[in-house]
Amino acid sequence: MTKTRHLLDLDDADRPFIEALCTRARQFKAGLPNEHLRLRGAIVLGMFFEASTRTRISFATAASRLGATWIDFSTGASSLAKGESLEDTMLTVRAIGADAIVVRHSEAGFPHALARYFQGAVINAGDGAHAHPTQGLLDAMTLLEEFGDLTRRRLVICGDIAHSRVARSSGRAAHLLGMSVTLCGPPLLLPGSSPGWGFAQLTAELDPLLPKTDAIMMLRIQKERADGSEMPPPADLAAAYGLTEERARLLPPQAIIMHPGPVNRDVELAASLVRDPRSRIERQVENGVYVRMAALEQCLGQPARERAA
Amino acid sequence: MRPINGQAFANRDFVGARVVDPALGLDAVRTIVVRRGVITALLEGAPAATDADTERIDCAGMVLCPGFIDPHVHLREPGDTHKETLATGLAAAAAGGFTAVAAMPNTRPALDTAERVRRLRADAAALHGTRCYPIGAITLDRAGTDIAPLRSMAAAGAVAFSDDGAATRSLKALYNAARYVLDLPQAFLSHCDDPSFESGLVDAGDKSDLLGIAATPSVSEAAIAARDIMVAQATGKRWHLCHVSAAQTVELLAFARGAGINVTAEVTPHHLQCTDDLLAGYDARYRVNPPLRTAADTAAMRKGVADGAITIFASDHAPHATSEKEPPLSHACVGYSGLETAVGATFHALAGLNIATLVSNFSTNPAALLGIPGGTLAPGTPADITGLYLQHPWTVDPARFRSTGRITPFAGKTFEVKPALTVVGGAVLMRDGELHPDGVPRALASLRSPS
Repeated sequence: MTKTRHLLDLDDADRPFIEALCTRARQFKAGLPNEHLRLRGAIVLGMFFEASTRTRISFATAASRLGATWIDFSTGASSLAKGESLEDTMLTVRAIGADAIVVRHSEAGFPHALARYFQGAVINAGDGAHAHPTQGLLDAMTLLEEFGDLTRRRLVICGDIAHSRVARSSGRAAHLLGMSVTLCGPPLLLPGSSPGWGFAQLTAELDPLLPKTDAIMMLRIQKERADGSEMPPPADLAAAYGLTEERARLLPPQAIIMHPGPVNRDVELAASLVRDPRSRIERQVENGVYVRMAALEQCLGQPARERAA
Repeated sequence: MRPINGQAFANRDFVGARVVDPALGLDAVRTIVVRRGVITALLEGAPAATDADTERIDCAGMVLCPGFIDPHVHLREPGDTHKETLATGLAAAAAGGFTAVAAMPNTRPALDTAERVRRLRADAAALHGTRCYPIGAITLDRAGTDIAPLRSMAAAGAVAFSDDGAATRSLKALYNAARYVLDLPQAFLSHCDDPSFESGLVDAGDKSDLLGIAATPSVSEAAIAARDIMVAQATGKRWHLCHVSAAQTVELLAFARGAGINVTAEVTPHHLQCTDDLLAGYDARYRVNPPLRTAADTAAMRKGVADGAITIFASDHAPHATSEKEPPLSHACVGYSGLETAVGATFHALAGLNIATLVSNFSTNPAALLGIPGGTLAPGTPADITGLYLQHPWTVDPARFRSTGRITPFAGKTFEVKPALTVVGGAVLMRDGELHPDGVPRALASLRSPS
């Protein structure tokens, strides 16, 4: 087996890394010959401890298109649920012969724990409020497709920043590609000091930002990560920070609207804007498959014929 | 007449050391003369002759201090003996230079009855090692609602009261408990952390923002510290804040001192110097309560010691099985094994502070807080002595701990100051890192009998 590489987060990523994966993803999107041979024989295990539709299916599709076999690890009925230690579960998974694990968990740092014990590749499909690196990459790819050079382009991420792993990963990827990133939300849901996470501007006011925005990414309220003592009622937040048709009119003509999904219609985003010409929500989902193909190829190392040799 | 298995008395002369006793204002070369387990004299120069019943112990190169007392340890008996036992915990204490420890009541079941207090004292005394004083729970099962049998626990030998591990949930219960035993000398020790933040894994700040994990901000500590200082003021009860970690709390202590409120505070070696940077990569070993905070907070702790706002050192020795400190972070047990690194790590963090303050904070002040013998080498007191090498660099190797708990933020760190000698009731428990060098554990049992 060739050397594997994990994709746990983008915290230490650099611009060449993001660009290389986005470039590869765009090659997959344009069409590469024999893509189904590239990871032939590889076993990819999907471990989704949190509900997921688009990310799980996107990864499974990406794995299938590369010729890998995707196996859904049934987390509810697993030995982990019966009290087996993480280390022992990982030894078992490795012994069975899985080459990679795609993991989503409600706890930040869980994929990093897996990576300690599992010798194969670990790809983070979302850990708590920490990271969602393939979402960051697919957003980067979408922005690159839209604008080409991203230098000095302005990205606004708006809503429940504090509990969002998307904001952390997509914000960082955009920053690494040269964008000016602004996080917008009430002080309770913003990083505690500025610049946020070391690079992002912070603001509690959405309206003055809108005319100067190239891309706005709306986030849903992560009710599963906060209780009533940590989070305002959704309607209260939506009134101040939801993107309504009226607010969307303040955006410049070339601006695009993004959302990682699932959308709570008429909460953070007006229902009429979901399929607005400025919306790139479907494009984001589409691009997700290609960046996940690039990520799987990157982590599993080599084309299949070399791996078999 | 040689002592036999700790039941008789130890006659020893400790010769040639620099003796530092802040309680006596002493810092000079002296011979400590111990007869029948009690210090009888501090002589300039060596005694003329040592009789056959008396052992002469050469302490040249050492600093001898009144025995160090750790007012905050978790010894895990009963209920969690896979983490630590009284025997391993007290061996760790002796190895770390401590002549006495006070054991927190968050055992299973909690130390909330006179019978359990009596039992712990007896079991510890039977080990003839470092003295062990129980701290009773303030509320039944430390649940924070119903007042525990404080007076009978005091009679059984509890030296203080605390719901450590959590703040006492009900202000009403805390206030009424303090008034209930206002006439008794036992202090109340507060674990300052608001229960609503109990799911927090790290300090709230840039680090938690980046890591995306549940956090406990400084205000969780400071708000409870302020509450409990107000209870101390309202009741007049002797009060003490455990393991302060936030700069804000030190400001409150300055206020309390200015207002004449009878409250002291302790700090741990890790909160003097370790920051939340250790949690990068979600390393579950470093999960601790209160959480590691920022460099500004550790600086505030050191300044608090230098200013006299913080007057007591405590290890918060919290041993766990190594398997309980594995990731993921939310599953990891909370705390570090601390007894065997506390002296080296504390002197290291506070290099430059005068030795009298350091010794007071390790000995005189915790003795006063707990109302126990020791804290001085004055003739007539039990011969509890801690010896140090001030310039003896050593490297922390958890594999060599006597404690079952092997998780420490100081593994691989080199410290200058090393415990060299632990003497309890005249008996030598540790010398140059070796336990019971005489071959027999013969320290006297705790001298303070239940009143």
